Amino acid sequence: MKCQSCGKKEANVRYYESINGKKKEILLCSECAKNLGFTDFSSMFSPIFVNIPEYIDNKSEYLKCIKCGYLFDEYTKTGLFGCPECYTSFRDRLDKILIKLHGKNKHVNASLKSKPSTKSTSNISELDKLKEELQNYIKNEEYEKAAVIRDKIRKLEK
Amino acid sequence: MWWKQVSNDSDVVVSTRIRYARNLSGYNFPNHITKSDSLKLIDSINMVLDKKEYKLFKMADIDEITRHSLIEQHIISKEFADNVETGAIVSNNDNTLVAMVNEEDHLRIQAFESGLNIENCYNKLSSFTNKLEEKLSFASNDDYGYLTACPTNVGSGMRVSVMVHLPALARLGYLTKILEEASSMGVAVRGLYGENTTGDGNMFQISNQKNFGESEESTMIKIKDVVYSIVIQERKARNILLENSIQIEDEIYRTYGVLKNARLVSNEESIKLLSKLRLGVAMGIIKNVSLDKVQGLIINSNTNMLKTILKQDMSEYEENIKRAEYIRREID
Ligand SMILES: [Zn+2]
Ligand SMILES: [Zn+2]
Repeated sequence: MKCQSCGKKEANVRYYESINGKKKEILLCSECAKNLGFTDFSSMFSPIFVNIPEYIDNKSEYLKCIKCGYLFDEYTKTGLFGCPECYTSFRDRLDKILIKLHGKNKHVNASLKSKPSTKSTSNISELDKLKEELQNYIKNEEYEKAAVIRDKIRKLEK
Repeated sequence: MWWKQVSNDSDVVVSTRIRYARNLSGYNFPNHITKSDSLKLIDSINMVLDKKEYKLFKMADIDEITRHSLIEQHIISKEFADNVETGAIVSNNDNTLVAMVNEEDHLRIQAFESGLNIENCYNKLSSFTNKLEEKLSFASNDDYGYLTACPTNVGSGMRVSVMVHLPALARLGYLTKILEEASSMGVAVRGLYGENTTGDGNMFQISNQKNFGESEESTMIKIKDVVYSIVIQERKARNILLENSIQIEDEIYRTYGVLKNARLVSNEESIKLLSKLRLGVAMGIIKNVSLDKVQGLIINSNTNMLKTILKQDMSEYEENIKRAEYIRREID
């Protein structure tokens, strides 16, 4: 499947929009998706990858962590990384893995030191709830409902 | 022991556990580390512990029966029990806080409570972990949160698990439906004995499947909601069983009779019989055995716990005799 925007690259994200109650599906490459202005794009898209090896091109067996020397290839066999720095070394692959595993590539509380009781404001938890709801609709393939929630999220994030 | 006590919603909920996965920056993860680095890491953790409250034990210094009895108390994982090369345990006096050192991550810090006590459990876990974090540098990253060996745990690194006893739902055949509902909400329900969901002892672990992109608070709220709804359904199922009370009473009194009189009881049989006894006690059918007594028996009747309590190693045949004796004495 080619990207429907540039028509050149392989599409790797699927985008759903509901127009007058009709479900429309657009397939894009991740670059075009970003260029089209979807900043929080991980939560807007449902990844179409099924298993990890699909991400890996031929060069992956040589992809190595600069800190610990762990090969990305070993991750695909064990499901484990070699050291904390692997998260930086394999960043490009990792974002895709995280989207596949968790539906997003960013953790919620960027600042870890602050515990939830002190951190959460009503606005943030509202957003969290909506994002979770969105994920559930996407999982259940209820894309029209998902689109409504997505618009709410966009409003809140402005 | 915490796993014996009776607390909130103990008729259905056995215990609550929350764990954090943490790694020290500057070291490779346990699957890619040298033995000498692992041992150095143990020392650096030991150095910052408040020795009045917490002690560190190397797995190599604990005998095999005791190590395996810790699995039966649900305090350590099966895989970890035989890691005598590099494993260590940090624990407080009453084992309500136990950290595994050099499991899949450098630290798997766990807090335990009896019954449904997510808040207390969280407070205990976070106060210990925060103190540790003042002295140790945990690997983390602004985008990903706490970094873990496996990317399924990255984020808050938190897992909330609640152990529940669901004999009535199991008996009425409602479990599959509940498992499906829970997993559609991102919550896992696992049978405690083996991977099969039927679980002979009808004990199930309810836990979050992931924590990435989710605040700790919302993970806890989600688990609490799911646990409550399962607790309510189990209670309803018990009421349904009571509609034909003579039948369930007969079954439970027969179980009680076997436990009071048997001369040979295998571990497998004790798990099944004690599950039924627990139901009878929780439903108020059996009145002269207390719930904490049954909870104690459910753990203590397991092979390695029994050997630890009786301070002797035994053949399986001897063990079955001793188990029957032990149970008879306890419920008499
Ligand atoms: Zn494109
Ligand atoms: Zn590395």
